[in-house]
Amino acid sequence: MIEARGLTKRYGEIRAVDDVSFEIGAGEVVGFLGPNGAGKTTTMRMLTGYLPPTDGTALVAGHDIFEEPLAARRAIGYLPETPPVYPEMDVQGYLRFAARLRDVPRARLREAVDRALERCRLTEVRRRVIGALSKGYRQRVGLAQAIVHTPPVLILDEPTVGLDPTQIREIRELISNLASSTEGGERHTVILSTHILPEVEAICRRVILIHQGRKVVDAPLAELTAEGQSLEEIFARETARDVVEEAAA
Amino acid sequence: MRHIPTIAGRELGAFFVSPVAYVVLSLYALLAGFFFLSSILQFNEIVIRLQQFQAIEQLQAVNLNDYVISPFLGVMSVVLLFLVPGITMGLFAAEKANGTDELLLTSPITIWDIVLGKYLAAAAFVLLMVALLGLYPGILFLYGDPEIGKTTAGMLALLLTGLLYAAIGAFASSVTANQIIAFVLSFVLLLLLLMLSVIADLGAAGGALGATGTVAELLRYLSTNDHFETMVRGLVDTADLAYYGAMIGSFLILAKAAVESVRWR
Ligand SMILES: Nc1ncnc2c1ncn2[C@@H]1O[C@H](COP(=O)(O)OP(=O)(O)O)[C@@H](O)[C@H]1O
Ligand SMILES: [Mg+2]
Repeated sequence: MIEARGLTKRYGEIRAVDDVSFEIGAGEVVGFLGPNGAGKTTTMRMLTGYLPPTDGTALVAGHDIFEEPLAARRAIGYLPETPPVYPEMDVQGYLRFAARLRDVPRARLREAVDRALERCRLTEVRRRVIGALSKGYRQRVGLAQAIVHTPPVLILDEPTVGLDPTQIREIRELISNLASSTEGGERHTVILSTHILPEVEAICRRVILIHQGRKVVDAPLAELTAEGQSLEEIFARETARDVVEEAAA
Repeated sequence: MRHIPTIAGRELGAFFVSPVAYVVLSLYALLAGFFFLSSILQFNEIVIRLQQFQAIEQLQAVNLNDYVISPFLGVMSVVLLFLVPGITMGLFAAEKANGTDELLLTSPITIWDIVLGKYLAAAAFVLLMVALLGLYPGILFLYGDPEIGKTTAGMLALLLTGLLYAAIGAFASSVTANQIIAFVLSFVLLLLLLMLSVIADLGAAGGALGATGTVAELLRYLSTNDHFETMVRGLVDTADLAYYGAMIGSFLILAKAAVESVRWR
C-alpha cells in the first residue's frame, strides 16, 4: 500500500531523512518511531506530497508521488503534527470543505461528513466554531478531516502530542477502531508517528524506528519483544548510537 | 480547476466572519461618501462662480463627468491602494501561519486551484466594493445628465485597477507567513507601481534615464497611472485592457511560483 524507495531530504548539509526505504502492506498498522528531530515529520511530509524528496520516491496505493501526485494524495488521509483547522469555521463546515477538497461526490457529502463526525464522536459539537474547542476536540476534528473521504491509507503525525491522559486514551481508542475497521471490505493501512512507546504497544503491530534520518529498526513488534527485551530498551539502545558517525568511519 | 469554487467559497466565508471585511467596507463607504460630497460641493462652487462672471463658454464646458465623476473615481483608486492590501494580506499568509497550507497542499488539488480560488474570492470582494461605489455616480443620473458611456468606462477602470491591486496583494501574501508583512509589502509594491510614471516624468525631465526615453516609456507603460487616466476619460482601448490582463496574469503566476516554492526548500 505504501512503498518508500530511498527517500532522502537534505536541508543544505543536514540530511533530515537519509535513504529510507520500506514497504507497508494493506491493513498493516505501523508505528513510526524515533526521538525528536529523527525525521519522522519530514518523511510523512514527503509521502503526503507536502515536501518533494531531494532523492528517491514513494508509491501510495500504487501511484508514484511524482508521476501521479493527485491520485496518490487522493488515497491518503493525513493528520499533520498540528491539526490543519481554520479557527473561524464550524466543525461540520470544515469537514464539508475537507471532503470537497478530496473529491467526495456532492451527493455523498452529507453522509461522509456525518459518518466522520460520528466516528470521531464530534456530533454534539458539529455546529461549534473550531477556535472555541479544546485541544482534544481540535485533534479529533483533525482526525475527522483525515478520514472524511474514507482513504485506504492513514498517515498520522504524533496524534496524541500535547493532550491530557483522558484525551490520549480517547484518541488511541479511536485510532485502534479505525485501524481494525474495514472500509469497503479493505482495512485501513495506518502509519502513526510517535515517540511515546506505550502508544506503539497499544496500537501497532510493526515498528519502524528511525534515528538521525536513517531507518535503524524495521520489524514486527512481537518479534522485537520476543527475546524478553522491552521496546523501551530497544529504543534506548538504537538511538544511543551515532549512526552518521558510524557510517563515516 | 474543479476545486476553484471550493477554495473561493471558503475564502469568502472567512472574509465575512472576520471583522476585516466590515472594517474595509465601512471605511470605503465612509471615504467614498466624503469624497463624493466634496467633489459635488466643489462642482457647485465652480458653477456659481462661472455664473457670477457670466462666463457662458466655460460654463458650457463644465460637466458632471469631468468635474465630479472622474476626479471622484481617481481619488477612490487611491483609497483602493490602502484597502485592497487589507483584503488580500491573509490569502496565503494566514494559511501558512495556521498550518492549513498542509491541508491544501496534501489534497488532490492543483496549485492553480488554490491560487485562482483565492484570487477569485478577493476579486469578488473588489467587485462588491466597486459596485457599492457605483451608487454615488448613480445618484447623479437622477439629478443631472452625465454621459453613461464615460461613466461606465470610469467604473470599469476602477474595477480593473482594484483587480490588479488584488493580484499584487495576493502575490505579496504568498511570499510570507506574516499578514502585517504581506500588507506592507503589497502597499509598497502598489505605491511603486503608481510612482513609476512619476519616476518616468522626473527621469525624462532630468535626462537621468538616458536621452532615448525608451526606459521612461516602459516605466510609464508599466505604471497604472496612464491606463487609468485614459479609461476614465472614456477611452476604452484594447491596449489598456491588455495591460490589466497581462499584469494580473503575471502577478498570479508569481504567486503560484511562490506557493509552489514551499516544496523546493
Ligand atoms: N525547513 C527545515 N530547514 C532545515 N532543517 C529542517 C527543516 N525541517 C526540519 N529540519 C530538520 O530535519 C530534522 C528532522 O526533523 P523532523 O522531520 O521534524 O523530525 P521529527 O518529526 O522526527 O521530530 C531535524 O533535525 C530538523 O531540525
Ligand atoms: Mg515531528
